[in-house]
Amino acid sequence: MKQENKKNNNNNNGTPTIKKAFVGALKNFISTLPMIIAITGLIGLFQTYITPSMLSNLFGFSDISDTLIGTFTGAISSGNGAVSYVVAEGLKAQGVSIYALSAFILAWVTLGFIQIPAESSIFGVRFTLIRNILALFSTILISYLAVVTAGIFV
Amino acid sequence: MKKLEFKGIKFLAIVSIVYLMVFMFDLENGLVGFEYFTNIIIKLLPIFLFIIILTTLINYFLQPKKMMKHFGKDSGKKGIFYMLLGGTLSHGPMYAWYGMLEDMRKHGAKDGLIVIFLYARAIKLPLLPFMIGIFGITFTIIINIYILIFAILQGKIMDSFMDKSIDNKKEN
Repeated sequence: MKQENKKNNNNNNGTPTIKKAFVGALKNFISTLPMIIAITGLIGLFQTYITPSMLSNLFGFSDISDTLIGTFTGAISSGNGAVSYVVAEGLKAQGVSIYALSAFILAWVTLGFIQIPAESSIFGVRFTLIRNILALFSTILISYLAVVTAGIFV
Repeated sequence: MKKLEFKGIKFLAIVSIVYLMVFMFDLENGLVGFEYFTNIIIKLLPIFLFIIILTTLINYFLQPKKMMKHFGKDSGKKGIFYMLLGGTLSHGPMYAWYGMLEDMRKHGAKDGLIVIFLYARAIKLPLLPFMIGIFGITFTIIINIYILIFAILQGKIMDSFMDKSIDNKKEN
């Protein structure tokens, strides 16, 4: 009986049937649902209490501090990537530097302080810590290098 | 067949308590936050479906041996290329992809390649017109090239860290 079940789940070459592959994928997704709901719930509260106008008040001191603040605010403001561009456009109109804007958009998509507990529960603390530190430094460096390189070409 | 193991139950409990407290002390904003939450979830539904289908296809076509070949230790430039492409084309928030990436990792995909996928997501193809509108075309091209380069660098650094930790474990 058990052997028959095994036959139903796997083809002769050991490849799972499409049904088994689907059930596995569904189970995998369902297992991450509490984490997805928790992060989305937090993002809902963040969007309510941390408004774009509050963020814009933090900028305008120097390129370096703007870049760091751009990275930090981008990292704490999770949500739809398109929103980061809308906020960035508003910040640009207020004269915030390109260093800060690019850092803000990059950090918004690649970093996520809200997501750290979930990321570490799935990939482990060590992986999460290294990845987020690497992403943080990359974001700051890319923002700086992109502005400098664009300055050469423009 | 593997059992269901829910991830982030404690985290969800904490967020639920935070919501309860917000509802008690600031009901109006709490409801606004909850509305944001439900809107995000509704917008994510098609992405969830896409991820389940993609994971099904990966489970079906990429068995551990093949996974090792394309995304494992000796995957080389091909693995990097696939992950850069996957990250660039992926939609939705990063956390929606954790499940699929975890599955790939369990089947032998390298940590460095997971990192490459997660950073390459900074390139948002549908949002490129917005980016060009804000920064101009030259800057947009330059920053996207840097994103790809730094995604690969991060992957290499992550792998070297993970290799070292494996070596240390073996020595101990």
